[in-house]
Amino acid sequence: MARLFPVRHVMGYIFSLVLSLVALGVVFWDLNVTAGLTILTVCAVIQASLQLVVFMHIGETSNKRSLYLNIILAVFVGVVTIFGTLFTMIWGFR
Amino acid sequence: MKINDTLPLEYSTEENSNKVFGFWIFLGAEIALFSTLFAVYFTLWNRTGSGPSGSELFELNGVLWETFLLLTSSFTCGLAIHAMRLNLKKPMMIFFGLTLLMGLGFLGIEISEFVTYVQDGATLQTSAFLSSLFVLLGTHGLHVSMGFLWGAGIMLQIKRHGITPETANKSFIFSLYWHFLDVVWIFIFSFVYLKGLM
Repeated sequence: MARLFPVRHVMGYIFSLVLSLVALGVVFWDLNVTAGLTILTVCAVIQASLQLVVFMHIGETSNKRSLYLNIILAVFVGVVTIFGTLFTMIWGFR
Repeated sequence: MKINDTLPLEYSTEENSNKVFGFWIFLGAEIALFSTLFAVYFTLWNRTGSGPSGSELFELNGVLWETFLLLTSSFTCGLAIHAMRLNLKKPMMIFFGLTLLMGLGFLGIEISEFVTYVQDGATLQTSAFLSSLFVLLGTHGLHVSMGFLWGAGIMLQIKRHGITPETANKSFIFSLYWHFLDVVWIFIFSFVYLKGLM
């Protein structure tokens, strides 16, 4: 039975729950927007990386370099899309 | 078919390795897709018109259950792949079954959430905020629905054929998809719901 629940996965799960609870804190703690968004971003990025590494086994094959590069490129495209849109639609002309 | 015994079954042939790699590239495209939807939402989130705002609309209780279900289903999906690598068919099927059931629970909560919104007069046409919200959440929910059907199909194949290089490969690729949906949900949970209620 124990071998069905590897420590790595169980720890990953517990850590995900803890990170979600910390993120939930922004609703109850009286924080300013910057502090709140910082906590949310840090927790979300750690949690996403945890899924990638622990559950999706991104680093276990010999082509892991290509996999990481692919994800980094996609995240770069995503970040440029989001912040580029915010810049052109909101921040750029204030 | 050349089988490489030093690798887990799902990578054991060249075709299998290529399929896993190809799916990672697809996930890259999915990241780009969801980024565009987040970009639209972040641009329009305070354009509520005469409709409700996020903080008036969102209910923390349901969202927490959705998050808990999806996180736990991601965990059991990981355990299913672990059991698969130990060549244990029955635990693998149980963990996959639990994963899909929790996915269904997630969808149930999300659908009832949408129904409540619409009953409160918050529809797709009410405001720019609600249009972008429904499209973002709906795209994720559609992915979960597709994942449910896909996973159910794979469970049938494992039941029929057992753990073979083909079914192991399909299961592993499905697990990548399911974990990815959890990653997208983490961002929705944080930057739509928690930010909206902050």
